[in-house]
Amino acid sequence: MRENDPEGRAGGAGSGTYLPMRTNLVFGMAGSGGDGIVSAGDSLLQAAAAEGYHGVMTKSFGSQIRGGESSCRVRISTDPILNPGGNLDVAVALNWEDFLKFGAELPVSGTTVVIYEAATNIPENQIPLVGIMPLQVIAVPIAAMAKATAGTERAKNTVVLGLIAGWFGIGAVAVMKGLRKKLAKKGEELVEANQRAFDAGRTFAMEHPLKVSMQLAPSPSKGAQKLITDGNDMCAAAAIFSGCQFFGGYPITPSTEIMQFFTDHVWKYGGTVLQAEDEIAGIGAAIGASFAGKKAMTATSGPGLSLKTEMMGLASIAELPLVIINVQRGGPSTGLPTKNEQSDLFAACFSAHGDVIRPVLAPTSVADTFSTTIEAFNVAEYYQTPVIVLSDQEISQRKETLDPIDTSQFTIVDRLRPAGSDLQDYKRFKQTANHISPISHPGMPGGTYLASGIEHTEGGAPTNSGTVHARMNTKRTKKFDSLKERKDLFEVTGNPDAPLALVAWGSLAGICREALALAKADGLNVKLLVPYLLYPVAEGTYRDFFASVQKGFIIEQTHLAQFHKVLRMHLDLPKGVKSMARSGANPFLPGEIVAALHRLISELQRSHEHNLQPQE
Amino acid sequence: MSPTGTCDYQPKDYKSDLKPIWCPGCGDFSVVAAIYRALAGIGRPPHEIAFVSGIGCSSRIPGYTTAYGFNSVHGRCLPIAQGIKLANPDLLVLAAGGDGDGFSIGGGHIPHLIRRNMDITYIVMDNQIYGLTKGQLSPTSPKGRNTCTSRLGSLEAPVNPLLYVLAYGAGFVAQAAPTDLAGMADVIEQAIRYPGFAFVNIQSPCVTYGEEGQQIKGLKAISETLESLGHNPADRLAAMDLAQSYGSKLHLGVFYRNPEPPPTYGDLVKERQDLLSQGALPKERILELFVKK
Repeated sequence: MRENDPEGRAGGAGSGTYLPMRTNLVFGMAGSGGDGIVSAGDSLLQAAAAEGYHGVMTKSFGSQIRGGESSCRVRISTDPILNPGGNLDVAVALNWEDFLKFGAELPVSGTTVVIYEAATNIPENQIPLVGIMPLQVIAVPIAAMAKATAGTERAKNTVVLGLIAGWFGIGAVAVMKGLRKKLAKKGEELVEANQRAFDAGRTFAMEHPLKVSMQLAPSPSKGAQKLITDGNDMCAAAAIFSGCQFFGGYPITPSTEIMQFFTDHVWKYGGTVLQAEDEIAGIGAAIGASFAGKKAMTATSGPGLSLKTEMMGLASIAELPLVIINVQRGGPSTGLPTKNEQSDLFAACFSAHGDVIRPVLAPTSVADTFSTTIEAFNVAEYYQTPVIVLSDQEISQRKETLDPIDTSQFTIVDRLRPAGSDLQDYKRFKQTANHISPISHPGMPGGTYLASGIEHTEGGAPTNSGTVHARMNTKRTKKFDSLKERKDLFEVTGNPDAPLALVAWGSLAGICREALALAKADGLNVKLLVPYLLYPVAEGTYRDFFASVQKGFIIEQTHLAQFHKVLRMHLDLPKGVKSMARSGANPFLPGEIVAALHRLISELQRSHEHNLQPQE
Repeated sequence: MSPTGTCDYQPKDYKSDLKPIWCPGCGDFSVVAAIYRALAGIGRPPHEIAFVSGIGCSSRIPGYTTAYGFNSVHGRCLPIAQGIKLANPDLLVLAAGGDGDGFSIGGGHIPHLIRRNMDITYIVMDNQIYGLTKGQLSPTSPKGRNTCTSRLGSLEAPVNPLLYVLAYGAGFVAQAAPTDLAGMADVIEQAIRYPGFAFVNIQSPCVTYGEEGQQIKGLKAISETLESLGHNPADRLAAMDLAQSYGSKLHLGVFYRNPEPPPTYGDLVKERQDLLSQGALPKERILELFVKK
């Protein structure tokens, strides 16, 4: 098992053997709502960042508003992190009922150290993980230690942080430094109580060393300033950076934090946010703001995307720039509102009546949510079109440590506005060589026109003419030809001539990037294509990529293999390229992708041997 | 910004070259003429006006003006209008449509523009029928009305548009009809001048699918001006009392004008922007918000 350790340094079992320090650790912790397990994860991530490590944190909750089960995963590494990781290195269960509810989200294996609450009264050899023999199982009287040191069991999460500092070498100083800041307003007494709880955990760990040392190696970039944020905040910041002046939306999990960011910050930049009366009004107001000449956006998740569909069609025919962020969750309908899935792809590409091309972009991490959102505004403005950004629950709500981003590297595109001669006998939908017409806005003298959902002439007058309709359909779809030529919206890694290939988008891309590194370490000749532009399908880019490919996988988190099907609508995939798809909340692990690649290699070799047989 | 312009404009300056698709004799011809007059009274240049509509016969109206027009989708003129107003508060924003557009498919938006006091004038051309789709029951059709979707008579009571907006607290509520073009132009102009959400219900007869009593002659027979009744437009409860007679009488004029208009949503936005833009991090440095020190 090496899913969690691309460097392969973890070594196997065998107590007492000397092992090099770990470069990468995945923690998974679960408890009841009031246990503060997520806030412990936040503290751990911030401490790791303060110490110069890279970190990723994901949270997962039951659907209860308060209480119920909650969990988090924190992956900490000396190197940049591509995804939240697969099997846990360290599992922390404050009680087993809650831990087990997360199932495959917190996978325990033979390389996992399991730490659990001794007050559960379950012997170490009888923990309820059927069929799995963890590396080590340790019952710790966490609640009792919290009570004894801080006077309250509410300090259990601080005891856990102390245990982690002691056993794994993360945050011995930084955790309490962070907690001091966080609790400063609540009084010195509380800070001291937490310090005692933390020290108790750390002391316990040092007095009970692990059978196999799992200390994290020192960070190579000690003290470097890092950003910590999640995909939703990153998206909103990118929008404001792009010059977005208007947000219209309606609360929906897991996208609401985008609107929250706007309500905190957009005023400072002369913009406005409207929490509208419903999803339709949210996008309607954004369309109005765009018509009025401002960059505008809305954000939603699956059910809201369905409601916004008619308005998206309006923006397409009226040729108004608009960015729609759709943070995917499990569907259809309410589906799995707090879990990750990529199953809104069909809806993003195709939900419209009439003949419509609407660009769809997707980020693959918190960091590239910044560039992808900027790109969405640029594409929307340049092509005068609605653009959907397909984020997902994992990217949107996971926290990442990031190196500072130089914002001067980004170009910001504004729509083509009429000037001079354009405004003599102005025609809003004028046919041009690249099918893009200068767009005026209310307030601009000489630019008045009628924007409409009804088919219209070049001048904007309503029409029923089939000839005009055909011509306008051509204008509205041909204009995207140049978008399909954009090579910079695709990432190809690995040997360009490789016979094996992976294709993945969104949050699955990070898992495949790690799988690629593992496969290369195994000597496999494989490459990976990650599209940031999902639609329109850039046939040429895929054809070039697949030219060398005999076998491979289109990897996605959908039940119906939606991405595989979208690609097959537009091009013939090599025969040996298959779909590897599964529905949401059942994460793929890099290791299983590598195992699947090994099977492909065996098949390739068998067919090669067959070809070498002397023919009778 | 005051809605009043600085230049002299004539009603014809707001009339576009597009030929209306309306049936000869349609009440909407008078409505658009009244809008030209009201806009000339205000005097803002056409390019500073945004006129938004939904779908329906009456929703064709923005195209018949020289303003920036937006003939959008069914029931959604108000969301789009508020986006325009928030993006550029200096614009004069008009929204218009029919009774189906406003009180059926788009009925959910009205309360929210009212409670936000969006500075938008909303004109409903109320003809108690779906005309564009050829004569179906509408939300203001009287109970018992026989239409092609209620051949045995409608089983439902109509919406009362006047009470609806009064109950939600609209600051300006008026009613007009093509029976009095000058009066219609006057209340539309007053509505535009009101600083906040203003609603004008216009009984605009459908000559093709409308009932006999809903034609100009029938409307004249049941109409009386609120002024002649001595109604005080500052009295909201009296306005609600008079509004009860919707469907049986046709009261023309201003039902209610809030004598102390609250700030508009736009005013509050401006206040917040002014307060918070002082010393804000330049947007090029917005990522510094994520630095954990």
